[in-house]
Amino acid sequence: MGCSSSLPDRSAGRVGGLNPVNGDSDAKNLRVKLVLLGDSGVGKTCIVLRFVRGQFDPTSKVTVGASFLSQTIALQDSTTVKFEIWDTAGQERYAALAPLYYRGAAVAVIAYDITNPDSFHKAQHWVKELQKHGSPDIVLALVGNKADLQEKREVSVQDGIDYAEKNGMFFIETSAKTADNINQLFEEIAKRLPRPSPS
Amino acid sequence: MASNSTSQPPSSDEEEEEEQGANSTVQKPNSNSIDNSLDAIENQLSSISFTSPIDETIAVVSAEYYHESVSEINDSSLNGSYEAAGEIRIDNNNSVGESSHASGSRVWMNNNVEVEVEAEVDGGLSSPSSSGYAGERGSSGGSVSSGSGTDVIREVRDNGESVGDDGVNMVDSVQAEWISGKRHADEDDASISWRKRKKHFFILSHSGKPIYSRYGDEHKLAGFSATLQAIISFVENGGDCVKLVRAGKHQVVFLVKGPIYLVCISCTEEPYESLRGQLELLYGQMILILTRSVDRCFEKNPKFDMTPLLGGTDAVFSSLIHLFSQNPATFLHAYTCLPLAYATRQAAGAILQDVADTGVVFAILMCKDKVVSLVGLQKSSLHPDDMLLLANFVMSSESFRTSESFSPICLPRYNPMAFLYAYVHYLDADTYLILLTASSQAFFHLKECRIRVETVLSKSNVLNEVQRSMSEGGLHIDRLPVDPSARSGSLFHQNQRSQPESVVGIGGPAGLLHFIYRSIYLDQYVSSEFASPVSSPSQQKRLYRAYQRLYASMHDKGIGPHKTQFRRDENYVLLCWVTQDFELYAAFDPLADKGAAIRICNRVCQWVKDVENEIFLLGASPFSW
Repeated sequence: MGCSSSLPDRSAGRVGGLNPVNGDSDAKNLRVKLVLLGDSGVGKTCIVLRFVRGQFDPTSKVTVGASFLSQTIALQDSTTVKFEIWDTAGQERYAALAPLYYRGAAVAVIAYDITNPDSFHKAQHWVKELQKHGSPDIVLALVGNKADLQEKREVSVQDGIDYAEKNGMFFIETSAKTADNINQLFEEIAKRLPRPSPS
Repeated sequence: MASNSTSQPPSSDEEEEEEQGANSTVQKPNSNSIDNSLDAIENQLSSISFTSPIDETIAVVSAEYYHESVSEINDSSLNGSYEAAGEIRIDNNNSVGESSHASGSRVWMNNNVEVEVEAEVDGGLSSPSSSGYAGERGSSGGSVSSGSGTDVIREVRDNGESVGDDGVNMVDSVQAEWISGKRHADEDDASISWRKRKKHFFILSHSGKPIYSRYGDEHKLAGFSATLQAIISFVENGGDCVKLVRAGKHQVVFLVKGPIYLVCISCTEEPYESLRGQLELLYGQMILILTRSVDRCFEKNPKFDMTPLLGGTDAVFSSLIHLFSQNPATFLHAYTCLPLAYATRQAAGAILQDVADTGVVFAILMCKDKVVSLVGLQKSSLHPDDMLLLANFVMSSESFRTSESFSPICLPRYNPMAFLYAYVHYLDADTYLILLTASSQAFFHLKECRIRVETVLSKSNVLNEVQRSMSEGGLHIDRLPVDPSARSGSLFHQNQRSQPESVVGIGGPAGLLHFIYRSIYLDQYVSSEFASPVSSPSQQKRLYRAYQRLYASMHDKGIGPHKTQFRRDENYVLLCWVTQDFELYAAFDPLADKGAAIRICNRVCQWVKDVENEIFLLGASPFSW
């Protein structure tokens, strides 16, 4: 905050230092920055770990700052998409840092917990912030996680669909625990990405 | 009211006067500062009326008990409730004189407050919160002696070890549990179990809002928190500052840091200086997470609720509190290195230096709580306390193990007002690299740095050597060289590699059990591996507590500093030797001969000097720049 220093890799990122060097991204091999936002405890890390490593760990591990993971998927049209994922911490003290991670992101996944209405409201707050400060062509996805806990559901599917439609977002309900819809989430995102025009 | 601080051992008259003076202030709490805690005060007052008649009844019991407890010097300290209140009289006559004389610092003593706090902590005599304790209160008169009697028996049988800080049902196997965050979150100040905990830590705001409590739910402890705030603020209103309240076996230690108040309530018999140092570290840990700019939130809104800002950090604090009894770095203010062959550490240092030259403020390679190597930008200094807090933060936050992370952290001794950005990555299960930078944009640069470091370390076999050192340990006391001429000058030679079977070694010569050597110039210490009979965590904790007392007494500004100390009790012979260059703390069998112990200490110092290349990080000390 109060500190400043010369940026060692000033030439690297075009928009900001936390964006990868876009050198090897072409029409067939996309490389995208994805940021995962949402209230604490909605399962952001679980979604990412299920997607990247196929694992689910029920013990809650609070994310500190942000974790960085990447995963490549192949689409049916033989393009590959490498997701470089910033899994951010949901705690209030990190909220001010979020721009650091979503700046320049091509995709933002905003997650909430279907058993927790507060987290749904928090998700709406994130959507507004990204509409204001995110990249203009950012792909937004709204994710209702913990879909396996049907009996504890407090946010209806329709509420999620309605809100997503109103805001031009892609909507899906997932369960990191059962792996339901996790891969679908990322495949759908990949399909919606703007393709760079072949040069 | 202004005469609350005592700088001289008071005569008994003065003490009585003080008692009365304070009594009247309790009854007239300053209305503008503690409006929200009047309820608590009222309950306090009721507790006074309860205690005074009982005092006499249990005086006999307490006198017996006192003898009992004196003979038990370590922390088998009586978490029972009833005896302590009765003991106050004895304890006060001693402690007022002792502590004000010994420490030379302002110690605020007051009999009535002691009784109150006692009553609160133990809940034996009255309840600070109006409900929930009526049943217990009813039994106060008659069952007093029997209550304390059973407690004594249990304590003695437990030998004060398994009871631990956690009081009632602490078992060693609970040890692994602390990492998962707060324990006993369902408790509050009305719970008997909560009241029996041996060591409480609280952080609260100057308006009395709870911020952190070691045990129990912060929100449920609002009333208790307000009471603590009331005690602090009415002393402050008298232009004074409360540092310590002694209540029987309990000490209540206060630390005021601007709008943040820290309180420790402990019956572990640790010295005041040690407990205060622990509160300083607790505060430092909070600053590491939030920076001191959090003070501004209180300037804007005095009733600001800080708990959401610390969301998810319970594990960090409980792990630190755990370290207070497991890691001598918490009182030595020094760090320790993993023993490594000189060339191995040099190789690690070289690649870290390489990376640091590209704009990294600090590059630190650690294995658990031990430093493999560290490098800092020129003129930057990393304080050992900052390293302790940083390592604790990383090790207690499980998410760092999952993937590479980038997080703002503040080093309180480096710059308490600003965040640095930490890149953290585990290279294997225990070994992790921390790269600190001032730039929030440097993640991909640091990631590249890490890849370079990792490649070099695995090529040069450093990571394997680190693993080997972790499993084999460094200084084993049973290998203390006997004949100076036969010294090998290295821990990593021939025959010593072929003894993997001795995981827990036997004791050393002349009854040597353990030692710690602290190099003053290097800000580093080295301790011997634990050997039988100091093998269980609770025995190690007891030994660390003994060292801690020794450290405090050697560094006591009132009566020190001392050069040597030889102390014998039923657990150990402790020998401490302080010179300009080093401090040596050694523990021997209680039957050890003094002359032999001194000779062994000389041999230990020689041994440490012979292998200093391998147990310390030399030359590259960031502290001497």
